[in-house]
Amino acid sequence: MIGDAVIALHAINKSYPGVVALDGVDFSIYEKEIVGLVGENGAGKSTLMKILIGLVQPDKGNITLRGRPVILRDPVDAVRYGIGMVFQDGTLVPNLSIRENLFLCHEIAFQKLGFLSARAMRETARELLARVKVEVDVDTRIAEVTPAVRQMVEIARLLWLSRLYGQQNPILILDEPTTVLTEGERETLFSILQSIKREASIILISHRLQEIVENSDRIVILKDGRNVTEVPSASARVEDIEQHMVGQREPGHTEVLQVEKLALRRAFEQISFCVREGEIVSLVGLVGSGKEEVCHCLNGLGRADAGTVVLGGKRLTPGSPSDAVASGEGHIPIDRRSEGLALGMTVAENVNLLVLNRLRSAGLVSPAQEKRNALRWIEECRIKTPSAATLCANLSGGNQQKTVIAKWLSSRVKLLVLDHPTRGVDVGAKDDIYKLIRKLARDGIGMVIMCDTLEEDIGLCNRMLVMKDGRLVGEVPCPPRKKPSPRDIISLIV
Amino acid sequence: MDAHRPRNAVGGQERTRARTGRVRVPAILYAVGLLVVLVLLFTLGNGNFLSLYNLNTIASYGAILLVVGLGQMCTILIGGIDLSVGGLMSLISVVFVVSLKMIGFWAFPLCIAIGIAFGYLNGNILTRIRIPSFIATLGTGGIMTSLALLASPLPVDAPAARYGMLEIVNGSLFKIGNLLLLTLIIFVAFYVILRFTVIGKSIFYVGSNIKMSWMSGIDIVKTRNFAYILSGVGATLAAIFLSCGQYGGDPALGRVYVLNSIAAVVVGGTAMTGGTGGPINTLIGAFVLSTMENGMNVVGVNAYFQQSILGAVIVISVFLTFDRSKVSMVK
Repeated sequence: MIGDAVIALHAINKSYPGVVALDGVDFSIYEKEIVGLVGENGAGKSTLMKILIGLVQPDKGNITLRGRPVILRDPVDAVRYGIGMVFQDGTLVPNLSIRENLFLCHEIAFQKLGFLSARAMRETARELLARVKVEVDVDTRIAEVTPAVRQMVEIARLLWLSRLYGQQNPILILDEPTTVLTEGERETLFSILQSIKREASIILISHRLQEIVENSDRIVILKDGRNVTEVPSASARVEDIEQHMVGQREPGHTEVLQVEKLALRRAFEQISFCVREGEIVSLVGLVGSGKEEVCHCLNGLGRADAGTVVLGGKRLTPGSPSDAVASGEGHIPIDRRSEGLALGMTVAENVNLLVLNRLRSAGLVSPAQEKRNALRWIEECRIKTPSAATLCANLSGGNQQKTVIAKWLSSRVKLLVLDHPTRGVDVGAKDDIYKLIRKLARDGIGMVIMCDTLEEDIGLCNRMLVMKDGRLVGEVPCPPRKKPSPRDIISLIV
Repeated sequence: MDAHRPRNAVGGQERTRARTGRVRVPAILYAVGLLVVLVLLFTLGNGNFLSLYNLNTIASYGAILLVVGLGQMCTILIGGIDLSVGGLMSLISVVFVVSLKMIGFWAFPLCIAIGIAFGYLNGNILTRIRIPSFIATLGTGGIMTSLALLASPLPVDAPAARYGMLEIVNGSLFKIGNLLLLTLIIFVAFYVILRFTVIGKSIFYVGSNIKMSWMSGIDIVKTRNFAYILSGVGATLAAIFLSCGQYGGDPALGRVYVLNSIAAVVVGGTAMTGGTGGPINTLIGAFVLSTMENGMNVVGVNAYFQQSILGAVIVISVFLTFDRSKVSMVK
């Protein structure tokens, strides 16, 4: 942070009908640095970046470029000032070659005596690709290269454009650059970014906080359209950043679920515990420890021999899922295909299953309300689907799981039992599901969770109940800053 | 960087459409196509096929088939079947005519009550005693047939004094037969129930995935009983319409309607595996069937051969709609 900011956004306000996206945000970028920009979905990151590349105009606030006020009318303006963005889903033309994409719409720079010099273009293209360490022939079609190469081509194009416009220190914005990359490609990307940093500034947006901490110089945290704080990456910790992003996340004091001396012959005996509002309680134990059966009895899928389950002050009828559901208990089953979804029905129909009663007008279920409710939860849970009328069978595993979660969310559950919620879900969607779970907790929903790995359990839960041979053998608190190590827990489990 | 990996060049867009798999042609399109082909064929075969008189015949038969079919459809949507519709229709036919003699107009509500009761019985044998609907309704259907024969072994004529009441079905309004108007009302009622009421929509959820429905708190007992009640009501109304039309009751009235109602449902594209399909499918299916039966007579297809064609159409329809992903092994 030596010298003046290359570009500084000051007190930026932007609102859309019904939402304030940015509320007095300050954001500066200095020469030769990598800034990490983090925040939850809806924190205002994308709006801020859209303002920076001229796609969106702020309602209030000013932008200065090396101390002089500027107005960024559109992306072309931004490119002229050396500001460019590499988008999540790429903006290259698949049918054109790398070379053609690099210089698209700016070929005029290679005009000699009225003709475009293919040789000069090719040479420049090679030089540009070498800079971003891409060893692909410049005449390869974009459709034939990996996402990693595409990203590099976009970066090279932005660097070249800013050189064309005589900008000394271009600003590159990378929005979730690593989601499409493999582990190896990710490392390459960051080493290239480090070398580009010598002559440019980079804004890095990623939901993988570890990545940001390791590869940036400082981190700017946004929450609900405001600056929360700014930390130097060298001393930043992922947990602290998370804390800043989501704000206070303390479970409430009201007990949602009380389990009293629950017992089932040949499965578990005398289990008692409680779950508070917004608390995530993880059940861990080996196969055969009885944890699965306990969860089944909570849901009414199984019938305990003795003991009681009280949800929100009401005693549940044993062995009745409908009573559990009516009392506000949800269940994310381990096998979503056979137990969580009606695969042959649409996303909307699956999301609306539990709330049809609420979507009625004049006694009949209203298609307009059905659609509205479905779209709302598809948005909220980030379900990637071509439309609300797509059959669930056609979604990927992660999106199917999000559909199951959306179904319960829309019914305003008090307690959710999650049985291996990330099983068979790809990595990107896993993160989305973790986020959803944390969001649920913030909304005050109590949760009992069983995860695929112990690390996942430790990461998500507030408190861990350890089961062994049908008995509760330990209770380990897992507060955000003082997580136990897996080793401590394994010694309890076995 | 691993640059030469041609096929993996997937952007964000592709991801959202992940696993679309092979696109299925909606089964209803096959049925509509079949209807068009049939009409063309029969018109070429005999110019009188499209005469007003003949169209009325097709519509009347199609209407009866539609009313039984709509009920049958509900049990098929739920993943079951109702083989007792034939027996119920025979019984209702006799009871209707006999009771018309004794209690007059009250025969109508009496018969509907009997239909509801038998539907509820079928439902409970499935949901409480847990006998598969195929066997349960085969049994109850046999019982109903025998009750019909016990009540009247021979066809009975409707009392001439009560012919006026039969006008409810046989009469016409603005030159459109009451039968068609009543059928239209019944169709709309089924449509509204299945698409816009909670219990009607639950039929689809239960048929699509009964375990998930149970775990999500849908009352699967009530929903399935309801589907069988709808089937009972459909068969009852169809039997009343038929008996009115022929001015008498017949203890063998329902025999052909077991196969034909199932055929109307599956030809329309409702899957035997449950969960997909609906009233519009059955509407098309019923008219495909009535067109086919009528047309084959009009162009003079050998009566014995007609059954083969009908059978083949049913098998092909099931082939086109059967959801093999749902059953691990076809039994």
